[in-house]
Amino acid sequence: MFALLKLIQSIIKTLHSDGTPGQVAAGIALGAALGLTPLVNVHNLLIFSLIVLLNVSFGGGILGWALFVPLGFLLDPLFHWIGESLLTAPSLRQLWTGWYNTPLVPYTNFNNTVVLGSVVGWLVLAVPIYFGAKVGVTRYRATIGERVRQSRFYKAVTASQAYNWYKLFRPS
Amino acid sequence: MQVKIFRWKAIGPLLLLLVLIGILVVIFAEPVARDTTEEVSTELLGTQVDVGRLDLLPRQASVDLGALQIADPFEPRRNLVEADRIVLKLNPEALAEKKLVVERFALQGMHFGTARKTPARPVSGDGFAPQALRAVRAWGEQFDVPILQLTPIDTIKSLVLDPTQLGTVQAAQRLLARTDSTRQALAQGFQAVDVRGTVDTARALADRLSKTDPKQLGLDGTRQAIESVRQTLKQVDAAKQQVQALERNVSGGVRLLSTGVSNLDEARKRDYAFARSLLKLPTFSSPDIGNAFFGKVSIDRFQQALYWAELARHYMPPGLLPRQDPGPKRLRASGATIRFPKEQSWPSFLLQVGQIDFTIADGLLKGAYAATVQGVTSAPALYGKPMVVSARRDAPGSVIAGLDVGAVVDHRTSAIRDSVSARLRGVQLPSFAIPGLPFRLAPGTGAANLTFALRGDQLLGRWSIGSKDVAWALDSAAGRGSDLERLVWRVISGIKQLDVSAQVSGSLKAPRLSVRSNLDDAIAQRLKAVVGEEVAKAEALARAKVDSLVSDKVEPVKQRIDAVQAEATKRVADEQGRLDQVEVDLQAQLKRLTSGLAPDIKLPKIKL
Repeated sequence: MFALLKLIQSIIKTLHSDGTPGQVAAGIALGAALGLTPLVNVHNLLIFSLIVLLNVSFGGGILGWALFVPLGFLLDPLFHWIGESLLTAPSLRQLWTGWYNTPLVPYTNFNNTVVLGSVVGWLVLAVPIYFGAKVGVTRYRATIGERVRQSRFYKAVTASQAYNWYKLFRPS
Repeated sequence: MQVKIFRWKAIGPLLLLLVLIGILVVIFAEPVARDTTEEVSTELLGTQVDVGRLDLLPRQASVDLGALQIADPFEPRRNLVEADRIVLKLNPEALAEKKLVVERFALQGMHFGTARKTPARPVSGDGFAPQALRAVRAWGEQFDVPILQLTPIDTIKSLVLDPTQLGTVQAAQRLLARTDSTRQALAQGFQAVDVRGTVDTARALADRLSKTDPKQLGLDGTRQAIESVRQTLKQVDAAKQQVQALERNVSGGVRLLSTGVSNLDEARKRDYAFARSLLKLPTFSSPDIGNAFFGKVSIDRFQQALYWAELARHYMPPGLLPRQDPGPKRLRASGATIRFPKEQSWPSFLLQVGQIDFTIADGLLKGAYAATVQGVTSAPALYGKPMVVSARRDAPGSVIAGLDVGAVVDHRTSAIRDSVSARLRGVQLPSFAIPGLPFRLAPGTGAANLTFALRGDQLLGRWSIGSKDVAWALDSAAGRGSDLERLVWRVISGIKQLDVSAQVSGSLKAPRLSVRSNLDDAIAQRLKAVVGEEVAKAEALARAKVDSLVSDKVEPVKQRIDAVQAEATKRVADEQGRLDQVEVDLQAQLKRLTSGLAPDIKLPKIKL
């Protein structure tokens, strides 16, 4: 419950005031990786660390994750096809063989079709996601953002003590 | 305003999170590893694998497993093997590449064939092992193992045969259709050759020329006439060749129909056997009796050997090409995980040397045993040596009891060779029921041998048991049984020595099984002496019944085939005769014409 509340708080605050639209969009683009690719993998630890360490919107990251999880499930067959095509391409076999026999690299599960396909898919989509999210956040703030800010729901959420935890990762 | 790139204040919480993850890994690594080991092994072997305890020893790069149980995939209430403790020494370098290379493998407290407290769960799903188990079971079902019928013979009165059940009737219908189509094809062939047209043209030319005088035709007229004759002779020759081709077609078609007639005879034999089976008559054939008594138990042994060989073939593929396996189970799609073996690197899995020492405390087999397993690997081409398993009793000089097991699994190249041999002496042989009969056989203490070899698709397996102390048990729940059952019981209950030998050979798709035992002849002779006459009468009745149903279907077909053959042969002969005759006439005219041109010159006969 606490986590859910925190998630809602961070998302709402993100959309309204925390960080520039660019920071929010960068957070969403990074968070999309968590949603599009299978979560329990080494690359997602790196992505999560980037969301935390880089001066991007943490709430944006959470929002990106939440938005792209269903899309990830939906696109799994496509990711499998992409991954399989890449992993079975004769021209790339030497590269994969090298990686597969290099210490620690196999722990990234790059040789799994869905993992590789989804990471490649995210890399391709990351830039469009960034620009799309940037335009979306800007327009949201300029149009219905102020009305939502004045609503009781918004005030109730932001008044919660749990919100203080979130402030730690607020973009400066 | 300058935007900062890093959020330095978040480093502390991130490190805290990583530490937390580390602590969770330390706390839950062993239970998770234990569950994963159970899950993966169960999936790989196609049978329930239980691990009572799993300790990770990172400093020694070792894993210590306790209370391991591997259920028998063919008998869920029994463990194939049980071990008190297993220590695996892993190679840390290979582990860094996510590869499991077991440098040493020590196993203590091993037990075979122990009873399980709870039956093993059947492994379902689309994994390779469950599929292989289903395939091997289907393989076992394709053997036609007869059941020794010992019901009273007076059931012959109730023999009712439906003509549609008889293969001869169906074969006759098919042959009739084929005969008609052959007849049509031949008729079309004759029509296409158009012998009549050629013969009529040639005849007309010969008649016309016979009425002319070459001297009156003049030089040009004679030349033209000669040319016409030559052209027509060519046409006649072409027609003769076509008739010869037709003759070959006729011979082929007739041969095919004759084969169909032979098949009818074979089908009728099968129908006799079918009618006989409806009467549930006892057999006097020794091989059938051997099959009925020990066929199923022999197939069970070969099935088990084949199952493990199939798993070895799948998990130990030859060559170095990338290999796909299903990905890990998760909420998201599993996808496929592809392995990329490389020369002079570690395979994904390798058990270099496994030393298994175990002791049997009591019984005839008591003593210390030593077993060695070498080269169990997921990439035999990388390892470069075949997998070798050997186990023997470490008790030199003892001839009373012993165990000798050897296996070689050579998958280094595409010429795959698997072989296993096991010889057990002085062991308690498991008891089993005789299929379809209320008898149970306890072979007691004896010897058992199994050899099984797979070379590509060809298999050769032998299984034998021998005992001098067999005990027979009659199933009291089956009541008194029939007279024949009592008769067979009297024969077998007095037999104390048992020698059974079974062999399976041929290809995996079409295997052949033969079983022999010392009981076969004894039972066959006794049955023949007691009920031979009655069985002969019943068999004659069954044959007569089949004959009465199929004769009126088969005879017309045979007559039709004879008619087609006779008609086609006569027609070919007629056409050839007509063509020969007209050719002779034309040659005569040609001779007459050419002699008119130069009467004193003797021209040779023109050969076309």
